[in-house]
Amino acid sequence: MTSRDRAQLMKGLAFTSPWLIGFLGLTIIPCALSLYYSFCDYSVLEPPVWIGLENYRELLIDPEFYRTLRNTAYYALLTIPAGLMVSLGLALLLNAPIKGQAIYRTVIFLPSLVPAVATAMVWMWLFNARLGLINTALRTIGLETELRFTLVNRILEALNIAPLRPLPFPPAWLSDPRTAMLALALMSLWGVGHTVVIYLAGLQDIPRDLYEAAEIDGAGPVRRLFNVTLPMLSPVIFFNLVMAIIGTLQVFAIPFIMTGGGPLRATYLYTQYLYEKAFMYQQMGYASAMAWIQLLIILALTGIAFGTSRRWVHYQGR
Amino acid sequence: MKLVSRLILAIMLILAAGILILGPKPDENVPPGRIVVDYWEKWSGIEGAQMQQIVDWFNETVGREKNIFVRYLAIAQVDRKTLTATAAGVPPDIAGLWQRDLVSMASRNALTPLDEFAREHGIDQSAYKPVFWKMCSHDGRLYSLVSTPATMALHFNRRAMLQSADQLRAAGVDPFQAPRSIAEFDRWAEALDLRDERGNIRRAGYVPMEPGWYISLTPYWFGGRLWDPARGEFYFTDPRTIQAFEWIQSYPRRLGKAALADFSSAAGGFGTPNSPFIAGTVGGVLQGPWMGNYTFNLRPAMSEWVVPKSIELFLPRAARQFNYEWAVEAFPSVDPVSLPDVTFADADLLMIPQGARHPRQAFEFIAFLQRQDVMERLNSLHCKPSPLSRVSDDFIRRHPNPYIAVHERLARSSNAWPQIASPIQAEIGAELELAVQQVYLLEKTPAQALAELTDRARGKYQRFVERQSLRGRMAPRAVTAVGGQP
Repeated sequence: MTSRDRAQLMKGLAFTSPWLIGFLGLTIIPCALSLYYSFCDYSVLEPPVWIGLENYRELLIDPEFYRTLRNTAYYALLTIPAGLMVSLGLALLLNAPIKGQAIYRTVIFLPSLVPAVATAMVWMWLFNARLGLINTALRTIGLETELRFTLVNRILEALNIAPLRPLPFPPAWLSDPRTAMLALALMSLWGVGHTVVIYLAGLQDIPRDLYEAAEIDGAGPVRRLFNVTLPMLSPVIFFNLVMAIIGTLQVFAIPFIMTGGGPLRATYLYTQYLYEKAFMYQQMGYASAMAWIQLLIILALTGIAFGTSRRWVHYQGR
Repeated sequence: MKLVSRLILAIMLILAAGILILGPKPDENVPPGRIVVDYWEKWSGIEGAQMQQIVDWFNETVGREKNIFVRYLAIAQVDRKTLTATAAGVPPDIAGLWQRDLVSMASRNALTPLDEFAREHGIDQSAYKPVFWKMCSHDGRLYSLVSTPATMALHFNRRAMLQSADQLRAAGVDPFQAPRSIAEFDRWAEALDLRDERGNIRRAGYVPMEPGWYISLTPYWFGGRLWDPARGEFYFTDPRTIQAFEWIQSYPRRLGKAALADFSSAAGGFGTPNSPFIAGTVGGVLQGPWMGNYTFNLRPAMSEWVVPKSIELFLPRAARQFNYEWAVEAFPSVDPVSLPDVTFADADLLMIPQGARHPRQAFEFIAFLQRQDVMERLNSLHCKPSPLSRVSDDFIRRHPNPYIAVHERLARSSNAWPQIASPIQAEIGAELELAVQQVYLLEKTPAQALAELTDRARGKYQRFVERQSLRGRMAPRAVTAVGGQP
């Protein structure tokens, strides 16, 4: 390395040093420490004591760990497909050459700019059982009944499983353990604006000549959607899927504000449990172990998504 | 290119220099030469301004004399921030925390023992109402002193009682008196219930979850206990505790789970004019003395039934109470003769975290606050009773809460119970809350919910014992939970 190269390197390092110092001090060192703490009994107030794999062993027999994992998986199963489909549908609509297109795009994107707390407060009122807009609208159009699940209960009875209890409709949404998670999932669609924008960019990147060729071959709008749009958009769908997996498994703020994990811990999610263990119950070592398990789960799911992507993701030029 | 990079570097250096020169400076309000004591407290807004008055009083008198300056800082989530700051070795000199924080922090050596300081200032238990002194200690050592205390009592709507006087009489209840026993209370509550033509609850005599802050402590009103600190055991399956939870469940059973969910969803949150007690949609609530301030601020008409407030303050105390649509009495117990004046006593506590830079000076302020005149001033402003055993006539007469004498009586009661003094109280509180929800939503019978709660609580305490034994603080042992009384 010449002295000129060295000078260039030093200059480069000097200019990137704020980020490097931040990355080292605020990401790498805390991550390394959390890995160490996950093998310790650490309450924050006392020095950590090495206990080996005890926190991980305890996690395996902790019913709340499994409950929050189940709830988070349920939330993810409801929100990821719904979010991907709704945002794709909106993007397809917004991609159509219609008057006022820019306004519609802005309107769809706007909710993603609203702070989480404000969004949560608005939706708590929308879901209010007696005064909420949703139930008022449902009652106004005469949708007031009791769901008895007769057919489902017959099947459950045959399988010797406890039947579902009748559910008043419109439901009490956030205060009924059976509908609280569904309400949170519905609410999550409010913030699809970012995904829609990414889909729109992907849609505009699809070459027009592919559509023209398909049209000449006699393909109608549905064929064009399934044989041109979706395959060409598959890298974007894959990107959004991976981001949704990561984001959904870490969701915290809005469920924490809207339900606090209740009722009956029906919406108690993994990240909330982790937060409570760390900062309310002073079990930072245990919470660190939870964080590393969460990372492993996210890595595994992302790995599965990457593993299957070869079958359904089509990159242009390959 | 070289010029551009040098220019950027120069701008960055100028910015850095600017931040250093024009950036944060020491507080200019601090008189020179004084030792600054940092005091973190949960109160902002009016309550914060009221505490600031007390801090100013100290700074102008004792502080000036002893060369101390207390700097008050209102902090959101003060417990968690104190915890983090203490762990980082930069705690405040004084932290205004909750009763629930004391045992958890003291058992982890995060608080400075105050016995020595208290002795030097002549502060001992004789000056305090027993329940408040007791909650300041852990394992035989003093770790805090009270700033503002509270006792929980039945706040009831007298206007609603007059409106439903015939129904109350028919139920064998005096429409001019608060109910005294649980049995009488149930009849009272039912007589006050009003429903519309669709069956929706328009007014409920009592709804256990409005606001439900102390509902898990209901066993105290049935003669039950929840926790024995000496043996580290929980008593959730005591027959009296089960009876208390059965009583909680009797309300959703009588009023209807769906009707109650509908009623609660229409209710405003605490601190809003639409909260059920303020809006008059619930006949009685278990609440603390701060309701005096809340009712007056949110719906003044409730406190001006006969004459305007300005005139009422000149009336004798007994006459003043007729000016209020609401009144306060001890929450009924299962047997008012053998179990009178049951209450849950809570308090905001002042603590000195381990590692505080000026513990001695910090205690000067805490000791100042324990003076009868200072304590009465602060608690008058905060609309609360005094934790001290001696209370002046003026404090009672001029107090903004016309029912402060009830709270004073409850605070002196031998049936005044503090928070569960468990080092894992936060976790147990969450588990108790789950058990209450299971019972209230009719998901489990009280006996089932409490048996499961006992198992969960025992597991958590067992874990705590094991982890403490690693540090040599506790002997390893198996935690048992029995059904009888401690």
